[in-house]
Amino acid sequence: MGNMVKLIVDGTELEVEEGTVLLDACLDHGIYIPHLCHLKGMEQPPASCRLCFVSIEGIAHPVPSCTLTVREGMVVQTDTNAVRGLQISALRLLLSVHDVDCAHCPANKKCALQKIAKFLHIGLKAKGLEIYLKEPRVVQDHPLIDYYPNRCVLCGRCIRVCRAQNGLPLMSFAKRGFDTVISFYGAASTLGCKTCFACLKICPVGAITLKTPNS
Amino acid sequence: MISEPYDQEAGQAFRSILREAMRRRSAFKEAVLPKIHIGMSTCGIASGALETKNAFETALNECGLSALIHSIGCIGHCYAEPVVIVERPGFPPILYYKVTPGKARMIVKSYLAEGDPLFEHLLGAMEENDLIPSVMDFPRFSRETRVITEKCGRIDPEDIYEYLAEGGYAALAGVLGRNPDHIIREITESGLRGRGGAGFPTGQKWMLARNADAGQKAIICNADEGDPGAYMDRTILESNPYQILEGMAICAYAVGARKGTIYIRAEYPLAVKILRCAVEQARVLGFLGKSILGTSFGLEIDLFEGSGAFVCGEETALIQSIQGDRGMPRHRPPYPAQKGLWNQPTVINNVKTFALVPTILAQGAAWFKSIGTETSPGTAIFSVVGSVVHPGLVEIPTGVTLKALILDICGGIPNKKRFKAVQIGGPSGGCLPEELLATPIDFDSLTEAGAMMGSGGMVVMDEDTCMVDVARYFLDFTQKESCGKCTFCRIGTFHLLRILERITRGEGREGDLEQLEELSIQIKEGSLCGFGKTAPNPVLTSLRYFRKEYEAHIREKRCPSGMCRALTAYYIDLEKCARGCDACVGSCPVEAIFTTEDRKKAVDQSLCVKCGECMVSCPVEYSAVKKVSPPHLAPVILRPVEKEAKKNA
Amino acid sequence: MKNNPVPEIEAILQDVTARLKDFRKEKCCLIPILQMIQHRHAHLPHETIKLVADHLGIAPCEVYGVATFYNQFRFHPPGKHPIKVCLGTACHVRGGSIILENFERKLRIKDGETTPDKEFSIERVACVGCCALAPVTVLDDQVHGHMAPSKVEGLILGFEIEKQKQEREKAKDDF
Repeated sequence: MGNMVKLIVDGTELEVEEGTVLLDACLDHGIYIPHLCHLKGMEQPPASCRLCFVSIEGIAHPVPSCTLTVREGMVVQTDTNAVRGLQISALRLLLSVHDVDCAHCPANKKCALQKIAKFLHIGLKAKGLEIYLKEPRVVQDHPLIDYYPNRCVLCGRCIRVCRAQNGLPLMSFAKRGFDTVISFYGAASTLGCKTCFACLKICPVGAITLKTPNS
Repeated sequence: MISEPYDQEAGQAFRSILREAMRRRSAFKEAVLPKIHIGMSTCGIASGALETKNAFETALNECGLSALIHSIGCIGHCYAEPVVIVERPGFPPILYYKVTPGKARMIVKSYLAEGDPLFEHLLGAMEENDLIPSVMDFPRFSRETRVITEKCGRIDPEDIYEYLAEGGYAALAGVLGRNPDHIIREITESGLRGRGGAGFPTGQKWMLARNADAGQKAIICNADEGDPGAYMDRTILESNPYQILEGMAICAYAVGARKGTIYIRAEYPLAVKILRCAVEQARVLGFLGKSILGTSFGLEIDLFEGSGAFVCGEETALIQSIQGDRGMPRHRPPYPAQKGLWNQPTVINNVKTFALVPTILAQGAAWFKSIGTETSPGTAIFSVVGSVVHPGLVEIPTGVTLKALILDICGGIPNKKRFKAVQIGGPSGGCLPEELLATPIDFDSLTEAGAMMGSGGMVVMDEDTCMVDVARYFLDFTQKESCGKCTFCRIGTFHLLRILERITRGEGREGDLEQLEELSIQIKEGSLCGFGKTAPNPVLTSLRYFRKEYEAHIREKRCPSGMCRALTAYYIDLEKCARGCDACVGSCPVEAIFTTEDRKKAVDQSLCVKCGECMVSCPVEYSAVKKVSPPHLAPVILRPVEKEAKKNA
Repeated sequence: MKNNPVPEIEAILQDVTARLKDFRKEKCCLIPILQMIQHRHAHLPHETIKLVADHLGIAPCEVYGVATFYNQFRFHPPGKHPIKVCLGTACHVRGGSIILENFERKLRIKDGETTPDKEFSIERVACVGCCALAPVTVLDDQVHGHMAPSKVEGLILGFEIEKQKQEREKAKDDF
């Protein structure tokens, strides 16, 4: 066990091991911070979902808590107006390109977006923003798995667990910008997939599903 | 100040190379033949410099004359390309502009053969004399301060000896053997700030890398110049690549790196070619390689061609790209100077920053600090394009006002149009209005005004430019170039663009402007990297300074400058149209112009694509083609057949 | 082309295999390798992706992920005469998009596409750095400055006349 450091989160003092990622420290102590792309134990945080913002005393703007490690004497607030404002707008942006059809989604009731929306007290609507969905609605390149681009939040967790399981990832981000998708390029021909379904299990939103006979 | 070699052996090696360089130079200078210097950079070649060169050779042959033809880089006067400087014994060197093959023949036949310098085709003499007015009489020449581009357009970029003869590599030779801390201190004291756009103090960056505890360190020259409308880096690379290599070598020595990479756009084939040649020559003479000038210090420089992703100008994305990954930025800190390429401490500087280093060391920090303003010392180099009389590259001391640069140095707005705005800093910058023309050009003043020094692109716009459309244009660019990693930039810029597109189509709604503002602020706050954090700047500045234009689009469905095509219409004023004239008919790409019953012309609005060609082709004495906004102001004129059909119905 | 698709791709694969030997088996060579393939064959045939992945010991999807990230790479061969319409800022304010539209209309293809006869392809580019000559179009690597919609027709017509001339001469020779 390494050295312990003390920090204050929302007025409560926490004692955690030195080097712990702030987001992990909070989550471990039952302080919920919305997040999508974070995976515990990862070396470099992608910091891409832009949800886990917190306010740190001495820093003017909110910072993603996945990019910080705990420091002695750190004073953290997880629910300032600035933090909540950013979290709500990030979530709305994600919802504006999300196919909100929960009834037909396997992730219904365990979906991270539902959980975060509930936590932030907002509905599953992208207030004020136009909804834009991509085509095709489902990609069926993989022999065993279907991919739903309009459910995907591009957190990239599936890619990382796939790499961890296989050494080589069998899926990757493809294209760029707004068109970015997860691609199983080459999976159909090589069938390197070891059917561990780690990607499917880690997906927070039901974007990766088992192929069903009628899908 | 570092003017004398410190290391004995290196000094000796350098002096012997320098002797050879001086010998070559005097051989060239003292030759009694006329010399023809032709600018052969990309803009020169695009304007026909190759044909001009051929024409000179042919004409010389025909006249039985000989002359030395000397390819040089770019002097930055793009409006005058192809630029040729002719030296004829007994005359001062003369600069000719827009030298077409025909002019080239005339210069040979009249000037070189007969001694008539063709006053009507020359821009001026390159030095003071009694015969021909000097180019220094023009503000475009006299008000520049050339530090970065001092040797550009004077030397052959493919001949290292010419660089040496102009004082090149003296700084590197002087640095070797000295304490690296002294070098970094000199750079720090000069106040040099990175010329890539953000203006981070260069000395501080170097110190961070020098102090990093690591076995291997790296340096990278960022030549991924992606701003649409900026081409300073390309010009420097094409005109004087050695200066950058020398600056990199000094930096590597100072921070303790032995490996350098130049990340250059693959879209710059000529610059890549010239740079490869320069690296090879530097290696042969011992300015690169395992043992530089015989010392224990070595540096290898590789070229990496960027594959066209604007975001790779962001340093962490650039590193990803060199490592063979998708160019997606990562969170900072750690900064590259702490943990960069292959996790080594890495100094990343822009082309212009490296190019300044040798001069600063040769002339001293105090000298550099004496140029320009206190907080942004030195010079700034801009590519001033768009609606100006004399577009091109201009290097000025910082602190010069926008007004002086645009209206005085670059000659103001052509065609008697009014200045409207200047866009500075590319997609990350902003549009500044006439009221802010008094703003001095330096990092802090421009940022305060909502723009940004950026890497130096400056687009001047006249009254015919719609600011809403310009904002839409930049968002279209950033949205396409977003790497897609983080939520705010990926989805936020998409929504900004959709709203702007709606407004320029005349489908704007109340509340759009508030939403644009709100989204912009969120994107700035929430994005992962500098690209996303600055992406909304064009929207925010245009809203700040040109809000009325947005409102006209939304409330009146009117584009005040007549640029948004969905909100404009062309029509032909039948009073002015000349019977029987059909100049416009042939110019129309879609056959939208038809003949009316009384043999005049009219525009079929259902076919018109609003390209404006008819307006250009209509003879000025008639000027019958009119443009209106909103489009319903155009009178409806039916084709004779349609009229007939209507009557029958 | 449909008659014998195999030999052509075979030749490309052979060429790429031979060239791959010049590259180290490190991920940092990925982009230079893709550039090499595109430089020699004007596009990245899908069949080469696996070849590259095997050489570097990475997954094909990683190669694909990188190749689709950068503007430079394309998976379909461009036309014989690639047309690059510059839409840099200076070109934009001087009507670059009108030039692009004219090419699109004239050739009946969209930006990013190739004509069915494989003669022309249109591509919009961000900035070719010849802003003082705006609007600019690059045709067959030759820069055409101060473009106007009326010049578009002339440029394409020039190629068509040239092509007809060649065909006539070829017909004459065959005869």
